[in-house]
Amino acid sequence: MSQFVFKMPDLGEGTVEAEIVAWHTKPGDSVNEDQLIVEVMTDKAAVEVPAPVSGRVVSITGEPGDKIAVGSPLIVFDTAGREAGAGSAADAGLDAAVGRERPGASEGVAAVAAPHGPAASEATAAAVAATIPLEEGGAVRGASGTGAAAAFAAPPLVAARSGRVMASPANRRRAREAGIDLATIAGSGPGGRIVRGDLVRVSARPRVAVGGEVVAETSGERSVAGVGSVAAAADAASTTEIKVIGLRRLIAERMSAAKRNIPHFAYIEEVDITELESLRAHLNSTLPRRTGGGASGAGGREGNADTRTRADGSDGHGGDGGAGIRVGGGVAPPGLTYLPFVVLALTRALQAFPQCNVRYDASREVLVRHRAVHVGVATQTPDGLKVPVVRNAQALSVWDLAAEIRRVAERARSNTATRDELMGSTITVTSLGKLGGIASTPVINAPEVAIIGLNKAVERPVVYQGAVAVRRIMNLSSSFDHRFVDGYDAAAMIQVLKDLLEHPATIFIPQVSIP
Amino acid sequence: MANMNMIQALNSAMDIMLGRDRSVVLMGEDIGYFGGVFRATEGLQRKYGEHRVLDTPIAEGGIVAAAIGMGINGLRPVAEIQFADYIYPGIDQIASELARIRYRSAGEFFAPVTIRTPCGGGIRGGQTHSQSPEAIFTHVSGLKVVMPSNPHDAKGLLITSIEDDDPVIFFEPKRLYNGPFDGDPNKPAVPWSTHPKGQVDEGYYTVPLGKADVVRSGADVTVITYGTMVFVALAAAAALKLDAEIIDLRSLVPLDVDTICTSVKKTGRCVVAHEATRFSGFGGEILAVVQEECFWDLEAPIQRVAGWDTPYPHAFEWEYFPGQERVKKALALVMEAQ
Repeated sequence: MSQFVFKMPDLGEGTVEAEIVAWHTKPGDSVNEDQLIVEVMTDKAAVEVPAPVSGRVVSITGEPGDKIAVGSPLIVFDTAGREAGAGSAADAGLDAAVGRERPGASEGVAAVAAPHGPAASEATAAAVAATIPLEEGGAVRGASGTGAAAAFAAPPLVAARSGRVMASPANRRRAREAGIDLATIAGSGPGGRIVRGDLVRVSARPRVAVGGEVVAETSGERSVAGVGSVAAAADAASTTEIKVIGLRRLIAERMSAAKRNIPHFAYIEEVDITELESLRAHLNSTLPRRTGGGASGAGGREGNADTRTRADGSDGHGGDGGAGIRVGGGVAPPGLTYLPFVVLALTRALQAFPQCNVRYDASREVLVRHRAVHVGVATQTPDGLKVPVVRNAQALSVWDLAAEIRRVAERARSNTATRDELMGSTITVTSLGKLGGIASTPVINAPEVAIIGLNKAVERPVVYQGAVAVRRIMNLSSSFDHRFVDGYDAAAMIQVLKDLLEHPATIFIPQVSIP
Repeated sequence: MANMNMIQALNSAMDIMLGRDRSVVLMGEDIGYFGGVFRATEGLQRKYGEHRVLDTPIAEGGIVAAAIGMGINGLRPVAEIQFADYIYPGIDQIASELARIRYRSAGEFFAPVTIRTPCGGGIRGGQTHSQSPEAIFTHVSGLKVVMPSNPHDAKGLLITSIEDDDPVIFFEPKRLYNGPFDGDPNKPAVPWSTHPKGQVDEGYYTVPLGKADVVRSGADVTVITYGTMVFVALAAAAALKLDAEIIDLRSLVPLDVDTICTSVKKTGRCVVAHEATRFSGFGGEILAVVQEECFWDLEAPIQRVAGWDTPYPHAFEWEYFPGQERVKKALALVMEAQ
């Protein structure tokens, strides 16, 4: 029996733990290398983890909703039959090289044979270490077999050399006294060392009950039916319990933190986008049709444009960059929504208001102003709210912006966004225009200091040039971090944004003078 | 009580012992008529006579050998080796004879010899007047090794050493003869009269061997040191505003393991400092003891501050001497780990 212990990998720079979203394998299953075994979620991104080896699953650690420290055992494979004896040969060679005697075989067998006993962590760590020489072909080839007895003696010896928990002796004692298994927690110190603060954090957190009753694997929903009592059965009809896990938990934590830490103030202004709508309609009308076949009643160019405008949601909101829009049976390049115009205008306005294009480093009490504008685009996904990031928005054309917004939003929706595509925004734009509503008070995407919200654009009778006229009006609902952005500056920034959007040509005139 | 520097305190100790015990004799190069190159024996030959305070030839092997013979035959010799740098010709006598007499004779004979010798740097003495060879002697079983850091301790420890029936190598950090020294050579010298430990009882008293002195108690970190480095460590910890516990070992053999370990178990952090070279230095032994006794209390790897592993230089003495900056660096390192 040759075991391979796969530990929770570091799925991004400095990730310390990841939450299990769904298992795609269970003990007893045989899996092939690269086969999807588990979905996990880190601070930002959901990641599908493939099997690192082929073999039979011996045990898995954690259930959906459990957070597993990076470096702690996640899944144990039995890889016997494929690499039997190879590890021992490699280790034998290694030991021969350093002139070391092997400990008694029985010791090693005991450790390996008791994966759930107290020796489990050492044994599993050893098993991981034992596989390392396998990848170094030279070590395998160069080794001469030293008999079966030595085979199982190798892991404990190797365990002393690598794959170890790093912690100071004092913290090891504290953990022992508190009953904390150091192998199950992630160290935040240099080189992943477990520092005292990590222990304090772990002991303060209630332990996740092992063997809990999570039923639904992916949704986290759980019916209490079948618990056994009549009362419970009655409750089952009227209630559904939904475990707050995964992205929802993350959203909850971040929203709470933002609202708790940031004194928000909201500022709402209406913007006359009649001219912007005219420009948008014109630009969309210039789009070539990609396929001509089967156009239903879309004869002329104008008619085509009209159709497209309607298909676009007709109000220019069109969601946060929808998929390709169907026109008359063919797929046309997607049209422009208001969003890329607003984002572009925002990058122009921020040139004069760098205090709004900021990430606040609370640990150092430093406001980091960014020259580049990385725009977070609040995106509704099947899993919940995500904020993918359009980088260097200030350098993109309105067409490129539209395409990039669409791209990152789609990546977020399809759960294929990388960690980088979900991090590092300097200001966020959120759009609820599709659903209507006249105003909102968006929550700032910390550590940023401002968020700009688009409300529904509607045609309204307004006084325009001395007479009542029908104009297209859209409200901008924005929130600012009042610790760092004064009301005067926020209002001035929104006024500049409004001015740009009401005279859309100025968005595209370089170095437009901004008051 | 009187103000005394370390020389005067040592002189007082020998004076008292010559007066109390007729078997006590002093011997060494220029210690009689001249009173010693550091004046430690000044006036004693005049007071007690040429048969109690002997000038010897320049022959360290002979001085030690004669002292052994005198000791075995009932005298209580106090031999001075003018500089610890000159002790090497006597090492065969010390290691092969002096240290073993009691063991080799199954306790029938013993040699109550005290060997006083000035050690350490900081006096621009170059390679032949600055060495700290204490670890050579702590490694020889059968010897006791003592190094005071102030006049009060020096007198009490020397009296105890003379009274001890077994051989004691008594190192005197010569930079501390005239005043405490915090490692900064550019500051004006400070006399012992400004320091509480410069207040010395004029009469007979003893300071026990094997009992370290907690010079400053603190909670952040334990600094284990002796000799000159006591004051360097005090200054370095103060500069970093650390609540450091500074332990002056005073006697290296026997070693006060209890005081060391009580302190390290309290603070969880430990720095060992000595002037002597680092490799195979006495700090390594302290480190081993702390590791053996206090492992589960350690918050951080133990740090060592020591002389560089070269012969003591003529030039660049203050780059060689483990001054405050090096102690501060070690303190910072040991405080950093969590």
